[in-house]
Amino acid sequence: MSIFAAAFGFGLVSMSVIALAAVGFTMQFGITNMINLAYGQVMISSAYVAYYVNRAGVTIWIGMIAGAAFGAVFSFLLNRLIYAPFQRKGTSHLGMVIVSLAVSLMIANLLLPIVGYFSVSYQEHAGSLVRLGDIVLTNNQIAIIALSVVVMLGIHALLRYTRLGKAMRATAANPTLARNCGIPTQRVIDMVWLITGALCGLAGVVAALNSDSFVIASGAGFLVTALAAAVLGGAGQPYGAMIGAVIIGLVTELSAAAWSPEYKEVVAFGILVLVMVLRPQGLLAKRGALAAAG
Amino acid sequence: MLVAQDVHRHFEGMHAVDGVSLDVPRGQITGLIGPNGAGKSTFMAVVAGTLPASAGRIFFEGADITRLPAYRRARLGLVRTFQLPSEFARLTVLENLLVAAPHNRGDSLFGALMGRRYWREDEERLVTEARGLLKRFGMSAKESDYAGLMSGGQKRLIEIMRALMLHPRCLLLDEPMSGVHPRVVEQIRYYLQSLRAEGLTILMVEHELHLVEQLCDSVFVMAQGKLIGSGTMAGLRRQREIVDAYLVG
Amino acid sequence: MNTYYAANLLIYAGVDIIAVLALNLQFGVSGIVNFSFIVFQAAGAYAAAVLSMPPHTAADYSFQVYIGGYQLPFPIPWIGGALAGALLAIPVGLVVLRKLRSDYQAIALLVTSIIANTVINNARPFLNGAAGLALVPQPLQDQVDTNTDSYLYLYIALTAVCVGLVWFVAARIVNSPYGRTLRAMREHELAATALGKNPVALKMTMFIVGGAIAGLSGAILVGFLTVWAPSTWLYPETIILFAALIVGGRGNNLGAILGALLVPVGFEEVTRLMIRLNIGPPNLIPALEWVVIGLFILGFLWFRPEGVRPEQRHVFEGSPHPEIEDRVVAA
Repeated sequence: MSIFAAAFGFGLVSMSVIALAAVGFTMQFGITNMINLAYGQVMISSAYVAYYVNRAGVTIWIGMIAGAAFGAVFSFLLNRLIYAPFQRKGTSHLGMVIVSLAVSLMIANLLLPIVGYFSVSYQEHAGSLVRLGDIVLTNNQIAIIALSVVVMLGIHALLRYTRLGKAMRATAANPTLARNCGIPTQRVIDMVWLITGALCGLAGVVAALNSDSFVIASGAGFLVTALAAAVLGGAGQPYGAMIGAVIIGLVTELSAAAWSPEYKEVVAFGILVLVMVLRPQGLLAKRGALAAAG
Repeated sequence: MLVAQDVHRHFEGMHAVDGVSLDVPRGQITGLIGPNGAGKSTFMAVVAGTLPASAGRIFFEGADITRLPAYRRARLGLVRTFQLPSEFARLTVLENLLVAAPHNRGDSLFGALMGRRYWREDEERLVTEARGLLKRFGMSAKESDYAGLMSGGQKRLIEIMRALMLHPRCLLLDEPMSGVHPRVVEQIRYYLQSLRAEGLTILMVEHELHLVEQLCDSVFVMAQGKLIGSGTMAGLRRQREIVDAYLVG
Repeated sequence: MNTYYAANLLIYAGVDIIAVLALNLQFGVSGIVNFSFIVFQAAGAYAAAVLSMPPHTAADYSFQVYIGGYQLPFPIPWIGGALAGALLAIPVGLVVLRKLRSDYQAIALLVTSIIANTVINNARPFLNGAAGLALVPQPLQDQVDTNTDSYLYLYIALTAVCVGLVWFVAARIVNSPYGRTLRAMREHELAATALGKNPVALKMTMFIVGGAIAGLSGAILVGFLTVWAPSTWLYPETIILFAALIVGGRGNNLGAILGALLVPVGFEEVTRLMIRLNIGPPNLIPALEWVVIGLFILGFLWFRPEGVRPEQRHVFEGSPHPEIEDRVVAA
């Protein structure tokens, strides 16, 4: 029983990491209607930025801020310079998916010559172990969980209580109507990309911190997991993404304990497929993403 | 010929169609009118099979078609058109009509692999039939133009001609005159009347009440998902509730 | 120019042409965004390999672990490859080709590709995991000495026959009323349904046909390379094929062939040339290649989404000249 208790503990860490990534991803889709397949690559790029900061002797917890800032600016520019122009041109949903795929390939391959092919990891001692019953976690891991909780609360506060949050929700529900009501949708969208970009960057650093090592190719795995959690919760629903993260985090860790850790992504994918077959609109349904064709 | 029995359609808690029963008589043009948001288009979609009914039954020529998918209903002769333009943009006008034709030996994987000689006869027959329709509706000159570049009214005509290539027994028209130039409206009205004279049954959603008066033999009125009246336009005008629904809705 | 170099070029060209023709049937003509295409080519390659290889317990092969090993002679492995591609299309198609918005379908297929690669990579006893399969027997190797030029010519001829066969099938499908129905479904699926067309059946059929052709292309490739590993079929390989269609022109076979020659083949050759002429640091060149492919995709999507050779307007005999010369452009 204790492996499962330990796995539950890892599940808590896992879901914290996934939640950060999934919420950002789903908000990008919900508010700007963009399935940003380059998300995983932005995560990895931010992880590398934090790596270089870390190598310069700075603790990774500060490095995280650098990663988040990088993610914010990078995502903002990505939208302004590439996604938005294509969208304005009238490119179909499908065309935009291909655009984001092309972008993700370009990012990965522009980075490769700079960072190299070999895997790297952060220099940070894991900290002492903390025991809660059968659950054993390091200080770092507890910190990650705490960080994630704080950020989730922050997102909740943003969406519920601030004017920007309300504007975001209005733009997500009906952009034309929002614009007609005087909401500066262009500025809202810019802010969305900055905020979700920061989430993306932060998630990248945290995910990298939680792994033994990382490499450019890890980006694809990050994307799959974030995607699975976002779809499970209902595309475009931030709270859904949080729930999705909880489920995926727990299930992947428990299955890793039961079978093998190499297949975590496969399990996430299996959940994704199950969701798409049984309840394609996800747990918290929203029209638009998965409407019947036409 | 077409019977709806207590049809319901709810979605995300909203009752778009709330227990509608009606009977479309053969060989007539029947109108379906009502204020915006009454559920008329949703009802049409359920009858056509594009949306599943949440409850209730639909009969066509006596057969229960409630469980049939849309494409099967079309093959039985129940054909719908759409409110928004739905032409096949990157196909030519003639190709749009040819796609609709059901009996073409070349329209299957086997037929395609057998080669031109296998389906050439069918194709030529259908081209002739399609060109006949184009001539009748005055669009012969546009045969090889891309359907996507046609005007709103021309696209409507293409949709109607396409539906006719299926030799339908009942046409479901969803606002066929919307967004169309008045001169083309006249044309469409003329065509619909001649189709009725040939025995075609039509159920038509329409907003322009004077058109409904000219064209429809009888009319059903919907409001807020329910059927609130039926009869001739003249008779309906005399009923207070109907008039109120239109003023309020 | 030595024979091996020419053979390599021609065979790769043939395989790429076959692959892009298949993808064109799925994507260009029918509108199915099969981002997992490469998995079907891989399935064909693996199937052809394990059908032609001896059991892994055999003397020289025991460093590998894999299923199958039936030592079947040509052409059975190639037929098996096509069959594998077709059979794989059935479960994948049934799960994915449902009432999802097309970009969601695309993502599900993309993720399938990523995961399939991960699974095969890690499951060693199935297809020898990350190391992949090696020493795959070559077609007709007992009849003709594989170290001779004659064998290379033979292989080129076999590939050419397959290209001809695939082109024949693709042409017949595209230029028929069936092809017209597929294109109509691509344009407006709901309207096609209202006209009596069954979209699920149409999509599944093209998914299976495309899968079979993709499988064949894999079988041809593995017979030439004699090795096959997960690193050969990562998900970006599908993107190259999509780039080929976007650049060359989708919806028509000629555009597909043109795209196959410009993109996968063209890039390979330019890369090889750059390495030979020592232009640029060698370890950067593959990465640079991907960046350029990405730029090509973006560039064409922006400036000329219909590709170099767009789908042609079909004008029937005895038809009046089209009044409007413009073309409707795909987004």
